[in-house]
Order: sequence, then C-alpha cells, then structure tokens
Amino acid sequence: MTRLEIDSVTKRFDGPNGSIVAVDDLSIDVEDGEFLVLLGPSGCGKTTTLRMIGGLEEPSEGDVRFDGVRVNEVKARNRDVAMVFQDFALYPHMTVERNLGFGLEREDADRSSDEIETRVREVAEMLEIEDLLDKKPAALSGGQKQRVALGRAIVREPRLFLFDEPLANLDAQLRKTMRTEIDELQSEMGITSAYVTHNQEEAMTIADKIAILNDGALQQLAAPADVFNSPKNLFVAQFVGSPDMNLFDATLTPDGDRYRVDFSGGDFHVPAAFFPDDVDASEVIIGFRPQDLFRQSSSEGRSDHAGPVVDTEVRVIEPLGTEAIVHGESDDGSLTSTLTRFHEIAEGDSVQFTIAPEHVYVFERDSEELIKGRMDTETDEAGTVTAPDA
Amino acid sequence: MSTDTPDSVDDFRTNQSWLYDTTAGSYLRSILVGIAVLLCAGFVLFPLYWLVVTSFKTTAEIQQIPPTIYPHDWTLEGFRLVVESSIRSGGYEDLVQRLFGVQVSSAIDIDVIGLIANSLKVSIGAGLIAVAFGTLGSYVLSRRDFAGKNLLMSLFLASLMFPGTAIMVPEWELFNTLNLFNTHLGLVLLYGAMTAPFVVWLMKGFFDDFPSSIIDAAHMDQCSPYETFRYVIVPMARNSLIASFIFAFLLAWNELVFALTLLANTKYTVPPGLLTFVQGFNVQWNVVAAASILVSIPVLIGLAYIQQYFVQGLTGGAIKG
Repeated sequence: MTRLEIDSVTKRFDGPNGSIVAVDDLSIDVEDGEFLVLLGPSGCGKTTTLRMIGGLEEPSEGDVRFDGVRVNEVKARNRDVAMVFQDFALYPHMTVERNLGFGLEREDADRSSDEIETRVREVAEMLEIEDLLDKKPAALSGGQKQRVALGRAIVREPRLFLFDEPLANLDAQLRKTMRTEIDELQSEMGITSAYVTHNQEEAMTIADKIAILNDGALQQLAAPADVFNSPKNLFVAQFVGSPDMNLFDATLTPDGDRYRVDFSGGDFHVPAAFFPDDVDASEVIIGFRPQDLFRQSSSEGRSDHAGPVVDTEVRVIEPLGTEAIVHGESDDGSLTSTLTRFHEIAEGDSVQFTIAPEHVYVFERDSEELIKGRMDTETDEAGTVTAPDA
Repeated sequence: MSTDTPDSVDDFRTNQSWLYDTTAGSYLRSILVGIAVLLCAGFVLFPLYWLVVTSFKTTAEIQQIPPTIYPHDWTLEGFRLVVESSIRSGGYEDLVQRLFGVQVSSAIDIDVIGLIANSLKVSIGAGLIAVAFGTLGSYVLSRRDFAGKNLLMSLFLASLMFPGTAIMVPEWELFNTLNLFNTHLGLVLLYGAMTAPFVVWLMKGFFDDFPSSIIDAAHMDQCSPYETFRYVIVPMARNSLIASFIFAFLLAWNELVFALTLLANTKYTVPPGLLTFVQGFNVQWNVVAAASILVSIPVLIGLAYIQQYFVQGLTGGAIKG
C-alpha cells in the first residue's frame, strides 16, 4: 500500500545528436490504492515514466518517492514493484507454475516451497489458469499468456503494479474482457497502480486519474470525466474522445449578458454565465463532440435551444450497430457526428446538425488553452434543458 | 496497373503451360528434381561411401585396377589391425591374453584409444574456452555501444577468413616462448582462440534478438544481475550455447596442421594420428579407413544426440515466448 509521488522528474537520453528529453519536469501524485493511467501518443514519454517508477531507469532530475521516501537510486529488484509488459515477457523455458513462482523464489524472505506452491495455486485459481500450470508459455494463447503475466505480478502482492500497454497485443474482444478484469483485480487488491496506454478508451474505462502526456510534458492530470468535459487544452481535447472533435475557427464578442460566437457556419449566443469572468480573447477555436451533435429536425435533441446550426451533406455513414458515425461535408469543412437514429438518413442527404451551447468547447486560438468546457446538462422528460448554475 | 478480367473460362487457360499445369508435367518435374537431388547427394556422400567400402576390402583388392565399387571379399582385416595395435600400444596385451587367450601381435604401433582421449581433451577444452569467451564478448557487443565496436566485429569476421596456416610460423615462435610446445594446453588455447570469433558472431545474433523485457521482468522479479544470467539468460541461450560448443569442438577435432606441427607424436590427436597410418611405400588403406571410422564413432554418437539443439541454435528459433 503505497503513495507514489513523482516530483519534477526529467529524463534525458544521450543520443548521437545530443541528448533527447523524454520526460520533461513531470509531477504526479498518486494516492494509496489509486489507479493512475498515463495516456499519450507514441514517444510521449509515458513508458519512460513507468520505467522510472519501476526502477528500470533513473531520473536525470527530480525525485520518485514511495510513501515519502526517495527511491531514485533503489534498484528495481529492491523496490518491491511488479510490472506487466506489452509482450508479456514470460520466461519461455519455465512452466507457467515456475513463471508465477519465480519472483517468490527470488524474494529474500525465506519461503518454503510449499508456501510458494500454495500461493501460486491461489493466484492461478483467481485467474482461472489452474489447468495451464504445467504448460510452457509457447503453448498458451495470447489471452492465457496475459493472464499468466498478470498472475506473476499479483502473486507477490507488491507495493505497486505497473502496466506497460498490457492489452496492446490482444484482439479487440479479449482486450475488453481483460480490461474489466484488471480493473476488478486492482480494486479488489487495493494496490496502487500505474498503467500506460495510448488507447484513450481504455484509459477512460479503468482510470481513477488520467495523466495525459505529450512530448514528455504533462498536459493534464484529472479524473476521466474532467478530462473529457474540461480538457485543459486543444491537444487533450483532440486526443480524448472518439471520433475526433470537430473544430472551427471563430470569434468571440461580448454582447450584454451573452457572448456572440461567429464562425463560418453562422453565429450563435452563449450565456456569459457559462464562461469564466475574465475572458479577453476574441480569436478562438470552438469544438463540437460528435456525440453532442444532433439533427435539428429530430426529437432526439432538445426542443428549446439556441445553438449553432450547420448545414451538411452526408458523405459517408459508418454503421456501428446501435449507432453510426456520420461524416458530413459542410461549406466550412467536414463535420463528424454519431447518431443513434441513422436509418432515417442516407448518403447524399442534406442534414442540419445542431448542438446545445453548453456542450460547445471554446479554446483560445493562440495558446490553445481551454476557455469553456462541456457542461453536463439535465434534460427533463419534456426535452427542456435546464442550464446548470455556472 | 490494370488487370484484365477474363471473360470466360477459356481465357484462364491461355496462360497454362504443360510443364506446370498438367499432371504429367508435374510428374516430370518431380522426376527431374529427384534426379538432381540424387546427383547432389551422390556427390556429397560418395567419399564417405568410399571410406566405408575401403575399410572392408583387402589390401590386394584396394590396389586392383580398375577399382571395385563394392568389396568382393568382405574382410575385417583393417579393423583387426587397428584394434590389435591399440591393445598393444596401450599395454593391454597381457590382459587380453589372460581373458580371451588370444595372442595379440601387430605390425602397426598406434594407440587409437589414446588418440581419441587426446582429441577429446583438446576439443572439449577448446569448446569450453570458445563458448565462455565468445558468449561474454558477444553479450557486451550486443548490449553496449562503444567506440570501435564495428571495427572489432569486422576484425572478428576477418580472423575467420584468415587461413590458419598463414600464422603458423609466428605461432610456432609463440609456443616456444611460452613453453607450450608439445602440450595439449597449448592446442586448447589455440583452438579456443581460433573459434571464439565465430562464437561471438553466432551468440551476438542470439543476444540481439533477446527480448529486453524479459531481463526487465527478471529484475522486477527481484533477480540480481548474476541471478538473471544464471536463471534466465543461460537457460534460454542453451541451444545457441550448444551450437557454439559443437562448432568449436568440431574444428578442434578435425584440425590437422597445427596439431601435427605443435605436438610430438607421443601426444598426437586424431588427425595427425591417422596420418601416421599412412607411412612407407606400402600404405594399408583398409587400416587407415578402418581407423578413421573407429575414431569417428564417438563423435557421431555425441552429435546424433545433440544435433537437434545444434539446428535450433543456428537458426535462432531459440526464443519463443
């Protein structure tokens, strides 16, 4: 049970063309039992961060602390952490049973072989891999290997769990099951965990706290819902959520107790109450989540709204079963939305999309910082929107 | 590139060839390939065949012109002479006479068992040295970057291409200076040094493919560097280590020129030892052939047992997660 602190950590690698900064002045606190997800595109430094937590890399600057104790110089084998690797990294020459027990055997605490066996059986039962104990890793399927790799991590009940893209090598179906399983295991055991992934959906599902990294720098550290609704900047907004957010250049002008937003698709008003007090930007970027867009004519939306209306011609409809991603072409670029009632429209139709003003994201154009995020609204049964107290 | 879609089944058939698309054609191809394979096999295996049949011929039949393809009079004379000479020079005459009541007498005076023992000593020693040094060297070359690394690798490769006899004279000087002349230790060191570069190349291929996450996993499982090496790397490298050992072993086992030059005949290994059967004007080729077969048997048995690891080690299919 460990509280993890990463305090102004920088990691540089010396390359042939000078040094490369992999992680840049990163600070993250993870409370005991919390599930932290490090999310970001390839090469953003998330794996390096994880390896520094595990002791496989040493920070160039800054401290890594477990329960307030600085562990920078403590070797991986003395940190009592366990790691699950993307390629599973099982020992190919050992049976599953020995793979699971190997860490216990090497531990300083003198355990009898009976004790180890009992513990291995316990974990194998928990993960439903009792039948595989005598097999070698080469004889296992991807999902089974993943379970063994998980088992190897939990068998020791370490201070920290580290996961390095553990689901990336699995097929889509398995990924979903294992995701839930990892989440359940972690809550059950209550062990502080750090999990690296580039898959935002995975991050949203299992995280207590998401740290979004880009180019080695922390973009935002927040709960999944906050990351979605109040992305700190344009990068986070684009990285989180699928399909991608629709973005338009716009200008913002105060207009009494409202702001007028002008963009190529027209203009609309947003109550000033939705904005922070000191907005001085006029050049902005506005963003619409595909999920928040709805057809103006459809009753799936709200009857009373004052949002922008965008005329589009439907180009492609990608049905996903219960819903569809609709790609439209408007005068000012393309517009993507997800609709549940997609059977009513066909490719080539012209459709008017609209969005509630409280769901519109507004970013400053130069700094790309968030001015106004998405506000969760309650829709009553009649379809009337109650604006939240802002 | 656009592809034309054939309009009818007939269009497909225009591309057909008799050789590739008819049953008769495929039979013909199989036959031709079979003949080619047989010819190659004959070319490769004929010397071995000739060795075996020669060992069963009488001296008279060997000298007969034209030579016979297979022995008309099968005889074990060659083998008898080899075995007798071993018994005699090994000093077992009395023992054999008391046990079997056979009077051993032989014109030749060569201890085949002794030759094999010498060769095993030298070859195993050389194999161990080559594997130990080659593995350590390749691990460093694979895992660390340092100035001159590529040059070093090229030097290792170049040393393999160098004919050994070219360094014979300096080697002779070196052996004299170090007082290694006529010692098996000298040959062990020499053969070990000659084969280590090959082991470096072979094992470097293995270590280059070695997944670093497994080493990380071992560290996470609280292994010290030594424990990682002992419990994880060595077991996984087993096949490649065996392949390296066999390679070094075989080179030492077959080497003639250095052994002939740097040893006196009391300490001969197998290759120079066999050469001593070829002496005088009247060479008994059946004896030479029989001796060659007898000394090959221990190695053949050993190789048959471990050849599966050898192939896996060379092809590098050693790591499967």
